Amino acid sequence: MPNQPVKRGDTVLEARGITKRFPGVVANDHIDFEIRAGEIHAILGENGAGKTTLMKILFGLIQPDEGEIYVQGEKVAFHSPLDAIHLGIGMVHQNRKLIPAHTVLENILLGHPKAGSIPDLRRTRDEIAGLCDRYGFKIDLKAKVWQLSEGEKQAVEILKTLYRGARILILDEPTSALAPPETEKLLESIRIMTGDDLALVPFITHKLPIVLGISDRVTVLRRGRVTARLRTAEATENSLAREMVGREVIFRLAHVDVKQGKPILEVDDLSALNDKGQLALRGISFTVHEGEILGIAGVSGNGQQVLAEVLAGLRKPVTGRISIDGVDITRSSSLERWKRGMGYIPSDRMNVGSIGAHSLVENVLMNYYFDGAYSSWGVVDSQKTRKLTEGLIAEYDIAAPGPETTAKSLSGGNLQKLILARVLSREPRLIIANLPTQGLDVGATEFVQNKLLEAKRQHAAILLISEDLDEVLSLSDRVAPIYEGEFMGVVSVKDARIEDIGAMMAGMKQKVAQP
Amino acid sequence: MRVGSYEVKLEKKVRVSGLEATIISLLAIVIGLALVGLVFLEAGVNPLNGYKAIFSYAFLNPFGLPLTINRSVFILLCTCAFIIPMKAGLWNIGMAGQLYGGALGAFGVALAFGAKGSQTPTASPGMIIPLMILGAVVGGALIGAIPGFLKGRFNTNEIVVTMMLNSIGYWLIAFMIKEGGPFMGGGGEGQGFKLSESVFAPMAWGGTFTIPIALAVAALLYFMFAKTTLGYQIKAFGLSPSAAKYAGISSQNVPLLVFILGGLIAGLAGYHYFAAVPGLYKIPTNYGDFGDLSFYGIICGLISQGNPLAAIPFAMLFGGLTNGGRFVQGQLQLGYGIDYALLGVLMITLVAFQFFYRNTVVWKKIERES
Repeated sequence: MPNQPVKRGDTVLEARGITKRFPGVVANDHIDFEIRAGEIHAILGENGAGKTTLMKILFGLIQPDEGEIYVQGEKVAFHSPLDAIHLGIGMVHQNRKLIPAHTVLENILLGHPKAGSIPDLRRTRDEIAGLCDRYGFKIDLKAKVWQLSEGEKQAVEILKTLYRGARILILDEPTSALAPPETEKLLESIRIMTGDDLALVPFITHKLPIVLGISDRVTVLRRGRVTARLRTAEATENSLAREMVGREVIFRLAHVDVKQGKPILEVDDLSALNDKGQLALRGISFTVHEGEILGIAGVSGNGQQVLAEVLAGLRKPVTGRISIDGVDITRSSSLERWKRGMGYIPSDRMNVGSIGAHSLVENVLMNYYFDGAYSSWGVVDSQKTRKLTEGLIAEYDIAAPGPETTAKSLSGGNLQKLILARVLSREPRLIIANLPTQGLDVGATEFVQNKLLEAKRQHAAILLISEDLDEVLSLSDRVAPIYEGEFMGVVSVKDARIEDIGAMMAGMKQKVAQP
Repeated sequence: MRVGSYEVKLEKKVRVSGLEATIISLLAIVIGLALVGLVFLEAGVNPLNGYKAIFSYAFLNPFGLPLTINRSVFILLCTCAFIIPMKAGLWNIGMAGQLYGGALGAFGVALAFGAKGSQTPTASPGMIIPLMILGAVVGGALIGAIPGFLKGRFNTNEIVVTMMLNSIGYWLIAFMIKEGGPFMGGGGEGQGFKLSESVFAPMAWGGTFTIPIALAVAALLYFMFAKTTLGYQIKAFGLSPSAAKYAGISSQNVPLLVFILGGLIAGLAGYHYFAAVPGLYKIPTNYGDFGDLSFYGIICGLISQGNPLAAIPFAMLFGGLTNGGRFVQGQLQLGYGIDYALLGVLMITLVAFQFFYRNTVVWKKIERES
């Protein structure tokens, strides 16, 4: 039987020649792959490289067209995730699958075989608390899930799979939603798990430092094929990046020097509430000039989202004044702002930035339907919009079968390229870019950043909101660290010290006021 | 799932072609008819004869066919009235109330010009008839604007509001046509006044001119959703309100607009049946039946997946079956309600078969395992 004890270093899961085709694309092309007990195995690849497909196959969510899977040497066939779960495979998805109104304990018990009968709550609580202690998760089991931070929710999902007896844990982009300290905590727990012979953790990510920092072995995928299989100790950041994208990635972007022009965006004493009715922006004032990138650095949830929405006209401010080109737009609708030359790149690509069921042409139309050049008498010029879309697909190298493809069939990176292409093609005078590279692989990130720099060269004023401090520092002219809805200062990047900015992000006010 | 030595699997479909949709719908209709055939058998009637009687009365009989067409046009207009809000992700359950509003508007205009019974109207028909149509669309649009406004401004549930307005419309008409009401007819029969002959709706190609108008409305809607910026904004709002908001589409104006447009078309349906169908030209005692008939617009809109052109054959089918079903009930001495049973079963099979719009069944022979 596959469910027998294993020793460290034994091969516990092996995939041979896994192939999966989707209409128009081979997502997995004869992938061989093995996981050993007590090891962290990272799967590295760009968006659309086939990582998620492979993991879904190993978890039984989809069936491969060809290929075999062996668990502890026995050939197995997964008809559904239930089969995989029975063999001790657990998966933690990128998107949370928890019920917010239920407690942590209830969520962990949900779907557990024990929950079928009347569970002995005290015993299960003790057992789960035991797991928490063992792996260093600090979670109140009685708390409701909606009260938890992203990191804690992640821990609940991991606990849930462990409690169901998972011994092979698949984590899909586990750190993408986490703040840096939470990431550290998670990685610490994962290290303890691998110390335990039972838990083995393949790890899907496209964050190189994390791969290098934690994994024992790496498998690199590119366009559905395995391009490298190596021990992490033998790998370097650059060698992995090269295998991943098939070329050298430039990590340090050349700073673009553009002569700054007149102020474009002027914000004065802006305050606004979040969805819960709390004051999330507290009297912010700043200016962004022509040909300038102002970076807003901060840990997630410090008012960045509210700021972006207020500027884009999607949320009403409580106090303050916003003007573009000297014209007061505080009360203007979002549409008027678009017409005035605003371009907004939202952080939520799937629900805000695009319409999944619509074609790429219709998605491009989102920022063009009001443009008289693309319609006459209210009738869309379909030839012109189609041509525009085809042009953007080519120019931005978007991997899509054609302009009639639906947006939901695009991978995350390509979707972001589409949104970026659509917004930038309007040649906006003001660009609000909210987390423009979040969740993207190295190649796509670099692409997006270069496009923003190109827009800067064209004298656009850019407000860049990012949680990636490296990104903020390498792109911006000035940085404004935001903490609990307030700017802790506005610093020119040239004479900024990274420790100072880090301290401001953590809530320390700037010591010396800059002119 | 295993069936014998075959493995049966469901696969998600990406897109369904027009041909596939047609085949699926026809299959659903055949199976629905076969199921109701059992009821015919139970009543001692050969189902083939039964259906022959229904369809020949509905579509071939010189008395039955015009009735079928008039009902179908009515259902088609109600379908269009349902489809517009549906595209914006909203549910118009209030075509009944809106068509009552349309009837009140049209007959109000007629009354204002004295176009009642044998009286001579105070203006030319060339002026009164267009104004009656205007009255109908304004009446329908006003009733429609209420749920639209409340939805856009206060996010009030549009289903509840439109349902309530159906009752309000129903009793408003009851009040207007009752004995002593402003719209009462002669003779104490509890019906509205009859229009003057001169303002009867004009005929076109042997039928009332509202038939080509209804077809034009369907075609126009199809065009609107396929080609115009307005249709685009409505669809975008329906698929993703947050993305629509991002694109600058007003979340207040879209609900208001789609309900005004829907109500306007439902008002036209009211004008069609009460002021344009030959032989009626009044609000009859059983006007509530037409409110009930308008609900076929919902099912028609759902089956045709919001495509107003695809809705035309379904409107014809339902129009024909309500008509032919009622006819054979008397002719073949079947139990009361066979027409409702027939339509009910058909609706269920049609909706159930929509499953195949989204899924494909795959049969695979299982290799013998050693």
